[in-house]
Amino acid sequence: MSRYRIPGHGRVDHGAPVSFIFDGKTYQGLRGDTVASALLANGVHLMGRSFKYHRPRGTVTAGSEEPNALIGTSRGPGRFEPNTRATVQELRKGLVTESQNKWPRLSFDIGAINDRAYMLFSAGFYYKTFMWPKSFWDKVYEPFIRSAAGLGKSPTENDPDRYAARYLHTDLLIVGGGPAGIASALVAAKSGARVVLVDENPEMGGALLSDPSVMIDGAPAWEWLDTSLTELRAAGVRLMTRTTAIGYYHQNFVGLCERLTDHLDTPPADAPRERMWRVRADQVVLAQGALEKPLVFDGNDRPGVMLAGSAQTYLNRYGVRVGDNPAVLTCHDSAYHAAFDLADAGSRIAAIIDTRRDVRPDLTDAAAQRGIRVMQGHTATGTKGRLRIKSVRVNPVQDDAVGKPVEIACDALLMSGGWTPSLHLFSHTKGSLAWDADSNTFLPDRRTEACQIAGAGRGLWGFGPVLEDGVNAGLAAIEALSRSGNPRDLPVQNDRLGTGVSHTELPTDLSAGKAKAFVDFQNDVTAKDLRLAVREGMRSIEHVKRYTTNGMATDQGKMSNINGLMIAADALAKQPPQVGLTTFRPPYTPTSFGAFAGYLRGQTFQLTRTTPIDPWAEANGAVFEPVAQWRRGWYFPKPGEDMHAAVARECRATRASVGIFDASTLGKIEVAGPDAVEFMNRMYTNPWTKLAPGRCRYGLLLGEDGFIRDDGVIGRLSSDLFHVTTTTGGAARVLNMMEDYLQTEWPDLNVWLTSTTEQWATVALNGPNALALLKPLVEGVDWDDFPHMSVAECSVAGLPARLFRLSFTGEVGFEVNVPARHGLALWTALIEAGKPYDICPYGTEAMHVLRAEKGYIIVGQDTDGTVTPQDAGLDWAIGKAKPDFVGKRSLSRPDIVAKGRKQLVGLLTEDGSKLEEGAQIVLDPNQPLPMKMVGHVTSSYDSAALGHPIAMAVIEGGHDRMGEVVHIPMPDGVRRARITSTVFYDPTGERLKA
Amino acid sequence: MTTQKHDFAAPVQIEELAPAARLSLRVRPDHRAVLADALGLDLPARIGDRAASDGREALCLGPDEWLILAPEAADLIAAAAAVYPTAPHSLTEISDREITLHLSGPSVLDLLATCCPRDVGALAVGRGCRTVFDSATVTLWRDGPAVFRMDVWRSFLPHVRNLMALAEAELATGL
Amino acid sequence: MLLIHCPYCDETLPELEFAYAGEAHIARPVDPSALSDEEWRDFLFIRTNARGTHFERWRHIHGCARFFNAARDTVTDRFLVTYKAGESRPDLTVKESAE
Repeated sequence: MSRYRIPGHGRVDHGAPVSFIFDGKTYQGLRGDTVASALLANGVHLMGRSFKYHRPRGTVTAGSEEPNALIGTSRGPGRFEPNTRATVQELRKGLVTESQNKWPRLSFDIGAINDRAYMLFSAGFYYKTFMWPKSFWDKVYEPFIRSAAGLGKSPTENDPDRYAARYLHTDLLIVGGGPAGIASALVAAKSGARVVLVDENPEMGGALLSDPSVMIDGAPAWEWLDTSLTELRAAGVRLMTRTTAIGYYHQNFVGLCERLTDHLDTPPADAPRERMWRVRADQVVLAQGALEKPLVFDGNDRPGVMLAGSAQTYLNRYGVRVGDNPAVLTCHDSAYHAAFDLADAGSRIAAIIDTRRDVRPDLTDAAAQRGIRVMQGHTATGTKGRLRIKSVRVNPVQDDAVGKPVEIACDALLMSGGWTPSLHLFSHTKGSLAWDADSNTFLPDRRTEACQIAGAGRGLWGFGPVLEDGVNAGLAAIEALSRSGNPRDLPVQNDRLGTGVSHTELPTDLSAGKAKAFVDFQNDVTAKDLRLAVREGMRSIEHVKRYTTNGMATDQGKMSNINGLMIAADALAKQPPQVGLTTFRPPYTPTSFGAFAGYLRGQTFQLTRTTPIDPWAEANGAVFEPVAQWRRGWYFPKPGEDMHAAVARECRATRASVGIFDASTLGKIEVAGPDAVEFMNRMYTNPWTKLAPGRCRYGLLLGEDGFIRDDGVIGRLSSDLFHVTTTTGGAARVLNMMEDYLQTEWPDLNVWLTSTTEQWATVALNGPNALALLKPLVEGVDWDDFPHMSVAECSVAGLPARLFRLSFTGEVGFEVNVPARHGLALWTALIEAGKPYDICPYGTEAMHVLRAEKGYIIVGQDTDGTVTPQDAGLDWAIGKAKPDFVGKRSLSRPDIVAKGRKQLVGLLTEDGSKLEEGAQIVLDPNQPLPMKMVGHVTSSYDSAALGHPIAMAVIEGGHDRMGEVVHIPMPDGVRRARITSTVFYDPTGERLKA
Repeated sequence: MTTQKHDFAAPVQIEELAPAARLSLRVRPDHRAVLADALGLDLPARIGDRAASDGREALCLGPDEWLILAPEAADLIAAAAAVYPTAPHSLTEISDREITLHLSGPSVLDLLATCCPRDVGALAVGRGCRTVFDSATVTLWRDGPAVFRMDVWRSFLPHVRNLMALAEAELATGL
Repeated sequence: MLLIHCPYCDETLPELEFAYAGEAHIARPVDPSALSDEEWRDFLFIRTNARGTHFERWRHIHGCARFFNAARDTVTDRFLVTYKAGESRPDLTVKESAE
């Protein structure tokens, strides 16, 4: 049995010892312990070193608000986590933990030299200390700060754990499974509403777990708790433990992080470690309770100094006495109960030091009965003890005068600066707070969401009032749900009611300038820092916060915000409400990145779309590239080929005989209805009225601003039916744009749009032998009337097909569309039939080269959203006789018709080198810096057909500069290039007529 | 029984259904009755409502949009074409656009809740909806308290299946 | 994540099913060629950028696929009302004074 464990006491399983390792040493704890409670049971208070000064620190709290006891935990390879709060981490077999921020060891830490250099590290030191000489920043200061800063070590391996996510819809979400939350749930569950009750702890009960002597509804607290939870389960209430509400967003959207496996000795394979719940609740009850405030005095961070309520929790919940002779320092009645419980459990209370002169007689009587000395009207002015408190320095205070000190020996100091409601989630909703002068704290005021706040979370104290409030909150919630419920009387006996006062720093007889009276333990911010910040001109609490980093630690000010505000307000000589509170930000407690990522990592990180022909490409060694959401075959290297060789071969083979290409990703939209042609005329720049059924045309789509949005070949299948193709990346966008016009501008048109992108698999055949290959496989096409730019519904290789004759290569070309399920069959049939012609599969890179040789643009590569049809040399695609189409009016806007717009041209380098896409172009390479850039290279390839590289570029006034030489400065020298037409290959289109 | 095809104790079962004819019907509400007559199928006016007869099913997806399922497409297309002059519409075959999953089992709502932000549990048996599963648009048909069909665009299917496999493994752990 | 009431589906659904579609009640001119350059510029680019009630368009993209209109408070992010495309701007003064 551990030295400080009380046999049979608390909620831990005394029959189930669990051993674990802390800093290399094996300790015994019990099932139900946290690392902190188990270490305390072994008499270990020293658990870490502080952030800035490397001061020895012990646990201050018993919950998720812990600022000090941050440890590294390891659950196996890749499963190291820094900054785990020892007060939250449950014991499990084989758990390995270590302290942080120390070297060479926790008990002797070289970094503690910072503590001696306290004056150097005061508020804003970051902004002052490292200012000069300027040259020191890169080489000296920054490396120093980088190595010294940070808490714990970052994990170095990929996280092998799984994380999960779930949406949850409910009528009522209750946050906090303490007495108020349970009371709310009891009345709400009876109404038939769907109720979810969550608590961050391993078990429900909240403050009841720390106060078993209270009687509720005639039963001891823990018996009432069991009965109530049984009732809730029976009523179908979803009880979620180890689940933290981390953020509260619009319209009652609450994020919950559920910890599933960290407490298990052997987690099931495939079990997620954590699950992020995204909850939508019609009503929310916030019953999060209150947080105890530390007192601010010199040495208040020494190991052994902790919150009184937490000591009570360690005692009653874990059966652990935090010391043999603890002293108590308080300004609130609640700490007396901690002292009484500890005294009753066998500790000798060194003294109760109360800052108040007047204390309730029943408390002083109860202390006297236990032989506890109560020192009323006293202050604490210091503590002693290197790695653990040995004594506290106490002085009487009379009329603001601090009297002579006495030293009181103790091995722990239990402090209570009073309680403040946990306002974090409420603040996330931008609910307003009101200052309550009586309790010196902020209370929730105006709500912005459909929520109730119950219990200690709105400043109530004592189990009776809190339970009653919980009942009322539950009733209010179900009434808001238009359900009815009945009040429930939950009488309380042995209640522990209480009040207190509030302080800034405690008064002292010592130099305030030398006091290390901590306000934010985790960020090592002292009262002196806050006053310095005010002296140095910080007036807003937000500035004070950032200058001192008070409240910016991972505990988000749970310990420090109110104390910091009181001190800043005092320094500013203002009332706290005039100074205001800084913003609490989500998450409520530190949350793993894995929980946020959920399933979206690895293979499921993001959507990858594949075509029906993808399996063939994969089996045939394709190298893939992502295009929009798709993965596409980039090139098909043969053994020994690099990309350059493979692409050159694919291009040559296509121009020499026939190439085959998976074009299934092209967007396809069926435009059908009596007004289809009118709709096409309005959407696209081109005229469509005279396009005969069975023919197709290149279509150009602009935005209303006149800039090119998309393009593609469009076939007219019948008078009322068009088969529109879009770019791969534009499919969804174009359909959305068309639907927008159709639904909101022209709802009178009788035309409908259907996405058929995935209905069809599309295979392109290009090359001089494409026709010969295809012809024998096709039925239902009159070849005498099927010239370039035709479309027919027919059969290909025995499959129902829509056959387009078109070309994106300059060769005779076809696109065969078959129902997607047949895509692979069509592809393999064409490959087989193409063998006599040495058919060559080519990928997107060869496709790009072949189209660039012909000067065909790629929207989004050669255009960037500021390119008009004129800029791109596509004036011919504009139906000039049409009265209107989307974007037409913009084509005559002054800046669109102005001279000097960037226009698409071809570029050929004089030295035959290949340009880099994105390279900037200048007219005079000898001009002074910064040079005027007149454009950039949009496309650049090695052309196998031409034997030299080709490029396209947008250049100011480019169309009027044909033949001129421009310059492209590159790191290795300036290239010279001549402006040419964009059509590099077969400019007269002879090959199409073959 | 080692040859057993399905593990009926599994929290969810996911099966791909064989393809059937699937069509998208778009028609103005005032011509709805004409098309319903022609197709021999009620076309419910309320979004999410379904109708079925003779192995044909219709699901209203929008104020002028119905998803039609049938064993064969040709008859329907011909029947609709006959009324086109008086009741102009669009009837587009999309049999190959989506693949249909059959989802069932006691944890099927949990499976859907991993990636569907809407309250799928609130979808009444016998109704359907178009919604989103992670980043994929899907059509859900609720055929029973714990039985759904989900139409997924073909190219999105691997992603959807990968996500479902993760959820299945998770549900099997009972955590 | 907001909840949005789709006036076509008559259901209140998660924002993830919807796509934002810009300011509402900016009708495309019947005859753009009749507009001056300044008028056309205003149609293209000038938006109210309201602080407070903003009339805007959404599309139930992963649902019924309809575009519709909404009045939303840009300060609180709260939707005041949603209504079908083509319907005129609702009078919100009545609603506000009732609150």
